[in-house]
Amino acid sequence: MSGRYLAWRLFLVVPTVAGILVVGFVLVHLAPGDPVQALAGEHGDAEYYAFMRARFGLDQPLLAQFATFAANLLTGDFGRSFIQGRPAFDLVAERLPATLLLISASLALASVVGIALGIVAGSRPGGVRDLAVSGTTLALYAAPVFWIGQLVILLVAVPVGWLPVQGMTSPGSTSTGLAHALDVGRHLLLPALVLASQEVAAIARLTRTGLATELASDHVRTARAKGVAEWQVVGRHALRRALLPVVTVVGGRTGHLVAGTVVIETVFGWPGLGRLLVTSVGSGDRPVLLAIFAVAALAVVVVNLVTDLVYVRLDPRIRYR
Amino acid sequence: MGLSAKGDSAVRGRIGRVVVLAAAVAFVAAACSSTEETSSSSTVAGGEGPRGGTLVAATDADPGQFNPAITTSGSVHTGAELIYNGLVELDEAQQPVPELAESWEVLEDGARYRFHLVEGVLWHDGTPFTSADVKFTFEEALLQYHSRTKSSLSGVLDRIETPDERTVEFVFNQPYAPLLQQLNVTEAPIIPKHIYEGTDIPNNDDANLRPVGTGPFVFESYTPGSEVTFTANLNYFKEGLPLLDRVVLRIIPEDANQVASLESGDIQWAFNVPGVEARRLDGSDEIDLLRTGNNPGGANCIMTVSYNLDRPVLADVRVRRAIALGLDQQRFLDNVLFGQGAVAEAPIHSGIPFAHDPDVAMPGYDPEEAGRLLDAAGWGRDGGGTRTSRGVPGVPDGTPLSIDFLYFPTFNDYAQLAAAELAEIGVDLRIGDTALERDPFVQRVFVDRDFDTNVISYCNGTDPEIGVRRMYVSSNINTNPFSNAAAYRNPDIDRLFDEARAEVDTAARTDLYRQISDILVEDLPYYWLVETTNVRGYRTSCSGFGPAGHFAEAASCS
Repeated sequence: MSGRYLAWRLFLVVPTVAGILVVGFVLVHLAPGDPVQALAGEHGDAEYYAFMRARFGLDQPLLAQFATFAANLLTGDFGRSFIQGRPAFDLVAERLPATLLLISASLALASVVGIALGIVAGSRPGGVRDLAVSGTTLALYAAPVFWIGQLVILLVAVPVGWLPVQGMTSPGSTSTGLAHALDVGRHLLLPALVLASQEVAAIARLTRTGLATELASDHVRTARAKGVAEWQVVGRHALRRALLPVVTVVGGRTGHLVAGTVVIETVFGWPGLGRLLVTSVGSGDRPVLLAIFAVAALAVVVVNLVTDLVYVRLDPRIRYR
Repeated sequence: MGLSAKGDSAVRGRIGRVVVLAAAVAFVAAACSSTEETSSSSTVAGGEGPRGGTLVAATDADPGQFNPAITTSGSVHTGAELIYNGLVELDEAQQPVPELAESWEVLEDGARYRFHLVEGVLWHDGTPFTSADVKFTFEEALLQYHSRTKSSLSGVLDRIETPDERTVEFVFNQPYAPLLQQLNVTEAPIIPKHIYEGTDIPNNDDANLRPVGTGPFVFESYTPGSEVTFTANLNYFKEGLPLLDRVVLRIIPEDANQVASLESGDIQWAFNVPGVEARRLDGSDEIDLLRTGNNPGGANCIMTVSYNLDRPVLADVRVRRAIALGLDQQRFLDNVLFGQGAVAEAPIHSGIPFAHDPDVAMPGYDPEEAGRLLDAAGWGRDGGGTRTSRGVPGVPDGTPLSIDFLYFPTFNDYAQLAAAELAEIGVDLRIGDTALERDPFVQRVFVDRDFDTNVISYCNGTDPEIGVRRMYVSSNINTNPFSNAAAYRNPDIDRLFDEARAEVDTAARTDLYRQISDILVEDLPYYWLVETTNVRGYRTSCSGFGPAGHFAEAASCS
């Protein structure tokens, strides 16, 4: 892969994110309603509405509002949250680590478990283990994630007792270092598992199909004929090629995971971006929404780039120029 | 609570009309003679308990910041009301009891109020609290950014004077009766001048995220989206309070998970127990429930059906009355609210006893009478189907009696039940595509006025001036959300509300609101279904909670 290619791809991130922001800006501004409503509650009078609209620049024409937004954005300023009054970027930045932790834990969990299950199922297609794995993963894939979340809380967390139902840390916890990490890990387990459950299904099924196809191919037959041990046949000859589409899916599903956090973070009270998104949509908090769009768009674009780069590692035939 | 609450408030209403004024006078006198009165002033559930301990409470929304003077948001007020105080606190009957003001005088027939502040109150940073803080808070924060206080006071309040450090005077253009109901920590929390002076208050992140108040608890830390922690204010001006050492406010967005956490013992207080869970927990040994009409975001809400009076079909009061007669309030209470609330027995909420009139002639449930009224109004019926017009003015003959009904998706159960009940009297209530989120709902109802009927949770507040007037006066027919949705115009009503606002004599005010209620029940621009109740849940190991405001001020846990 050439450095020029990488530079070009990195450069493309800028217009992509900018385009997403333009579309996002138009969308949030064309949506019906008025962010001042969320502030006024039930009781604002006409004067209050006029005052707050002027304060937020909402009395300006849309084009003028966009010009202000774009100009501020060039200096890295997303504006202030209408509702909380604080810089929108700060709100997003303080929530981002929790969401990153949740997504990366889920992705890791889903990849390891999904590929393992795919191998179990795909190494002997049509067998009992294949049926069991395929059936279970299909059921997980079909179930709505908020339902699984609630079920896990009621059937696992509450009876078990030591698995927390809510949040990222214990109430009023002041622990630091290892104790803090363990506390967070304990809280992370259930939401990460539930969020991963859908991805596990996708990854396992893809691995299984790819592996089954590869195991029936000529080069695997040749390897077997040469007397290569079965674990090596599966692990080195078949799996490597079977994983190529899996990588595409894992990368592509990052966007899906970001969407999944909206539900999971609400169900488990996880203090991340997903919940900020829900409350900001509800209150029409446009600066915060646009800041979240920017971060989510950036994340997806970057993950896609990384996915493309991983291809090269996995398949020597792929070259980028 | 159902029947017992109705009976209770009926009694309170009748007695209230007579004694409220006397009680107010007595309270002022008592407060003047003894500041100890203040320590037992808040409404509490349970008794005095042991000192010390930590309370873990749950609320459903992230506060984001802690300045309650610039917002009416319930998520901000839930935490911030532990930190701040108002000039007064309101008791269960919405009557003022001393807080930062130890006593007050109503002068010039209610055009001037003089407040005497408690001596020796300190801000959490040690700075003395003075009358300048009160004046500053009103002028720079409340009258700018607090939508309720701004909209009710800014037209009538002329100026605020501070003759000395412990005296504040509010001077009005004309006599203004409801001031004392608008000075509690929810409507008018007092913030420190020495911290906010000269800054852009809503954007003063340092101050809004590290609040300094006078209240029972001192802000300790805030983890966005996760929790807020508070420690006891050891210099609190109310003798002997607070009892707890520490309060942790957890943010748990799902009501069902608040209940799960309450049952597992992870938390000891939950702000929102859904009706169906409340019914299940009612007999529990470990969990007690506290039912209240109050909320940090607003109080005394009634689920109200609005009729669009601009529509020819609904311009006829007989049709409006028939629809009211066809809706069984008790079924809404039982089947939608799971019994957590009360049947609305008057246009004004029972949580405002002096204005609530339990004896007013509400339509009640009578489908047969509804049928007779619709027949008389020209809406005939063959068999059991939808009625059609036969000589209704402004409506072509043969038009079916089919009207739409707009509602928030969270009020789906109301829509389903209303449609089923009205079908029985031959009214086709269209609910198929009228579940609208808040923004499109407001657009259609208040901006486009493109609706026949809808259901809104109208919160009456602590005084009719705050949340009742806006629904009925003709000057409030506009595009603002939750204004006069029915577009109801009645000069008598306009006049009576103006008179009630200027009348400081509570008995006379009561009489004016009775007249208003009588006219409203006659005209039926709206129909009042059920009063909703907020159910708080707490572990029985804790006690002493108040319903709103400083809910943990007098709480303790063993």
